[in-house]
Amino acid sequence: MKKYIIALGLFVPTLLFGQIDRSIRPEAAPAPTINIKDSEVFKTDNGITVILSENHKIPRVSFNLVVGSDPVLEKEKTGLSDIAGTLIMSGTSNRTKDVLDNEIDNIGATLSADNNSIYMSSLTKHMDKGLTLMSDVLMNANFPESEVDRIIKQNESNLTSTKSDAGSMAQNATAAANFPKGHPYGEIMTFETLANIDRSSIVDYYKTTFSPKGSYLVVVGDITLEETKKMVEKYFGSWTGPQPNQTDWGTGKFNSGNRVIFVEKPGAVQSVIYVSFPMNITPSHPDYLKLKVLNNIMGAGGFASRLMQNLREDKAYTYGCYSSINVTEDGSWFSAGGNFRNEVTDSAITQILFELEQIVDDYVTDKELSLAKSSMAGSFGRSLERPSTIARFALSIIRNDLPKDYYQTYLQQLEGVTKQDLLEVAQKYWTASNCNIVVVGNEEVVPDLGKFDADGKIERLDAFGNPKVEKIPSDLTADEVLNNYLSAVLPNISASKSKKLAKKRKKFLSGIESMEVVIEMTSAQIPFPITTKSIWMAPNIRGQLMEGQGMTFSSSYSDGKTGQQQAMGVGKSEMTPEEIAASNKSMGIIPEFNYTSTGMEYEVIGIENFNGRDCYVLKLNDGKTVSFEYFDKETFLKAGTVSIETEGEETQEVTSTYEDYVLVNEIMFPSTIKVSTGEANLEGKVVSRTINAEIDLAPYKK
Amino acid sequence: MKYILLSGILSILASNVIGQREIEYLEYDLDNGIHVILHEEHATPIVAVSVLYHVGSKNEQPDRTGFAHFFEHLLFEGSENIDRGEYSELVEKNGGALNANTSQDRTYYYEILPSNQLELGIWLESERMLHAKVDIEGIETQRSVVKEEKRQRVDNQPYASFITETFSRMFKEHPYNWVPIGSMEHLDAAQEEDYVNFYRTFYVPANATLSIAGDIDIEQTKAWIDKYFGSIPKGEAINLYRDAENLSPDEFKKKYNVELDALDLKKFSPQRDPQANELVKKYSAMPIEIPRPEKATEQLNSVIKDVVYDNIQLPALFMAYRFPDQSHPDFHALEMMNDVLSGGASSRINKNLVEKQQIAQFAFSFAYGLEDAGMGIFAAIAAQGKDLDSIQMAFDEQIDRIKNELISKEEFEKIRNQYENQFVSTNSTIAGIAESLADNHVYAGGAEKINTELDEYLAVTREDIQRVAKKYLTQDARIILHYLPMEENPDNK
Repeated sequence: MKKYIIALGLFVPTLLFGQIDRSIRPEAAPAPTINIKDSEVFKTDNGITVILSENHKIPRVSFNLVVGSDPVLEKEKTGLSDIAGTLIMSGTSNRTKDVLDNEIDNIGATLSADNNSIYMSSLTKHMDKGLTLMSDVLMNANFPESEVDRIIKQNESNLTSTKSDAGSMAQNATAAANFPKGHPYGEIMTFETLANIDRSSIVDYYKTTFSPKGSYLVVVGDITLEETKKMVEKYFGSWTGPQPNQTDWGTGKFNSGNRVIFVEKPGAVQSVIYVSFPMNITPSHPDYLKLKVLNNIMGAGGFASRLMQNLREDKAYTYGCYSSINVTEDGSWFSAGGNFRNEVTDSAITQILFELEQIVDDYVTDKELSLAKSSMAGSFGRSLERPSTIARFALSIIRNDLPKDYYQTYLQQLEGVTKQDLLEVAQKYWTASNCNIVVVGNEEVVPDLGKFDADGKIERLDAFGNPKVEKIPSDLTADEVLNNYLSAVLPNISASKSKKLAKKRKKFLSGIESMEVVIEMTSAQIPFPITTKSIWMAPNIRGQLMEGQGMTFSSSYSDGKTGQQQAMGVGKSEMTPEEIAASNKSMGIIPEFNYTSTGMEYEVIGIENFNGRDCYVLKLNDGKTVSFEYFDKETFLKAGTVSIETEGEETQEVTSTYEDYVLVNEIMFPSTIKVSTGEANLEGKVVSRTINAEIDLAPYKK
Repeated sequence: MKYILLSGILSILASNVIGQREIEYLEYDLDNGIHVILHEEHATPIVAVSVLYHVGSKNEQPDRTGFAHFFEHLLFEGSENIDRGEYSELVEKNGGALNANTSQDRTYYYEILPSNQLELGIWLESERMLHAKVDIEGIETQRSVVKEEKRQRVDNQPYASFITETFSRMFKEHPYNWVPIGSMEHLDAAQEEDYVNFYRTFYVPANATLSIAGDIDIEQTKAWIDKYFGSIPKGEAINLYRDAENLSPDEFKKKYNVELDALDLKKFSPQRDPQANELVKKYSAMPIEIPRPEKATEQLNSVIKDVVYDNIQLPALFMAYRFPDQSHPDFHALEMMNDVLSGGASSRINKNLVEKQQIAQFAFSFAYGLEDAGMGIFAAIAAQGKDLDSIQMAFDEQIDRIKNELISKEEFEKIRNQYENQFVSTNSTIAGIAESLADNHVYAGGAEKINTELDEYLAVTREDIQRVAKKYLTQDARIILHYLPMEENPDNK
């Protein structure tokens, strides 16, 4: 070990240095070179390309196995690879999930997997144990039914929340527009394709995809070549599998002329806009780095970037407007956009297209170029401390056939990028006149969008990027739908075709004084169960409690005149007169019975598919919340509600679905209720529903 | 039997492999007293530039608490040569990242920059040390920022006051009596002069450790350090320099009896003007006395039991024991004892109180090591309907067990693995190495500790752990705090 301790007083700096002008700021020294050692590469008999990046700085080693298969079309089982990827860590034929988790923790290792790779990192001394676990998962994952069910259910909830998440809808539409059907990037999971995924197709995916042939094993860290060869033989030598799938998917679909695509999100107060186009480039092309610099200046460089400066700082249309480039072997695209207030939707599109035009027509400034270079150089440099970055680089060099010193010389290459280069790549790959302009938002913004479309015709897609099926006009009036619903929920009372049916129902309902419902809710996002208790008392007292872990998360109470709510972390608030007025429009144990007299606005807007069932759709407005109620076309029971509450510029959308109706006190009530808010999905089972019970109001009024 | 023996030998061999990976560094003092530590490694083209000031909340006056932490904010306001708000901008514009933090014992600032911006980083930190903006405008701005921070991190966090509550009961004399966030009233009451004096006392070369790690050229780095830090005046001369920049000619003349004009700030030592030169020489020779408390000697002699009413829903129990300071020979064993009790999901406290008995929602313990004293804390939030006495009994059961029985070989092996992992991850980044070197120099008796500390942990035996448990987990001398919901406060009814 070398160590120098230089005695105090050896330096007399004030004498060595004459004058110092502290107001002069230091200049940067020349860009440094990167000390990334060349990797060792060898191939195993069973077809694995092993890439070793030796680095003995710290006694840690990582193994990242990436399979060689190109993406495949999943068609009617779209989503299969993602689901299979999530499930790989669910246990093996030798270890249950719990055992596996424990063994990983005991050696302080990391082991993770996705649909085409498995990663393990540990201290060098625990490498053997870590590789034992890694190879077990790689070869013996056993996908227990219970875990398959859990993950599929979780994905169902995610799909439900997609419909209330404008950002996901915009991504789906952008993927569908740039990569039409027939390209894997254009395939989007829906309820229908999810329903087709079962354990055997997952096992099949795992067996065909996870194969040594054509795969890459990137080894980084404290290990020698000799030792790597030994380890690979010991833990991966016996691994077998089929030839990987190789498909050249080509590029996306280029437009001639701008194309506007609209996805409706009822009640939205903001539009999500993505302006995108495919690019004919792969990661190995020398233009890629120049495009990254160009994109940094356009909209990926924080506050200084052009989109941010124009649309946020100058015009105040948005909180943020960004651009991104996605460059892969199987297809590449550009996208720019953000969230914008409804009334500036068209102005925002105009400005995004303006910025694209500018950057294609003219040089960037020297200041923009130098800022982009230094911020990119800085984050590149800092990223190198992570071993995973080195692993990614080593793999990228082999896979993309890059020069061996590509990342070593990255900073010099970056420094060498000129304004001329940027103008050239802008003109080669970017366009302001052949874009896909995706807008997710409120119907009211549509009339202003026509002017952007080359042929003036706006295409409409649904939440999952499929052509929107126009609503079928309803053959019933709103009152007829409601009447059929009341017959469905009061089947016995309504059985006799009496002329006095309305009176009979009213009399029956007036005999009901109160109801208490307890629901146990679970959610993948919340690690413990939640209990909600709701009460109703005639004429219009309502209360709700949400509890879990011995704590009360929220409580609310209203009696038609006053009301209050309290939520953890938010505090207590009184209901405003508007909120009271709105709540009084839903009165009674079956509020639909009273719509005609409470002043609730309601209209039938057509027949639409809701979670796979055709439903009559009723649009309601109580003055505070707009909601859409879906009544099953066959049974007339309510299948779900989508309610949209607007608070300033934010909208909160809640989707509830009702299933498993049962008869309680002559009334049909759902016993499964799912609630999705975009952030969280909850699945509720009704534990008890008590009619005309004594109710203690105190806890609700707290 | 043979297998166990073999794996035992293997793990000893493996741990020696780690021990041999020395972190190389070089250290020296500048004439003005700044301690410099340099670690050169070229794996990644980045550098971490850090300055540790040996000042924390324990150096504050009892009626001016919160100052050390306040300065952590204030010293980003700029300097004579850096405009307000420009400090972070300069770092970010040049591809870097920066941050700072404050404890009872230290205030720590750092930048991570591309290595070709090393000179910028050295200049930035030297500006902060020599002549940061400590003025009323910055003070006002940062007062509101710090108040917001306290609201978010302390006042609005249920149970967050337990650190304040335990420290104030454990230390009646030592300034660990209060915690770094301090008192907002004190910050409000303080005048500009109080802030300026704090800066003049603690932000001086002899109180600073400059630690630089990463892709550096040692000779070039030393030259830049000499230029920017070496030129910072020694002793009281730094405050003479600051006065020359801040006082009017009249004020300066009055205070020093030398014309301000006579002083050349760009070439401060030696001065051309003989009178000015005498002045600088005189003040350079005057050391700055940095007030530091003595190590805490006060002991806890009895059980202190108290109730704290807080804005909470579930009651909680906090127990505190007096531990020795972090450099005491027993402290490593106490840390490892704590990991047996509370290191991770499979530890004793979690398994027993949370999973098996289900009397606590969360339960944990930790060993709090500081420069002048230490503390062992046991904490649990009660499960719904469970009382705090049953939690205390369960804690006591675990405490009795670790005092009366040796820990199992498996537990021992697991915590040793945890320490090795922790050691490796701390030293896997240059920012981590720069910080460890500076910390070890100031608080652990030398930077070299970075290479020997793991061996010290690995030298701790199961018997040591049992011994320190018996010595420090004193059931007749501890603090027991019951946290109860505000509604249960009889004074509120």
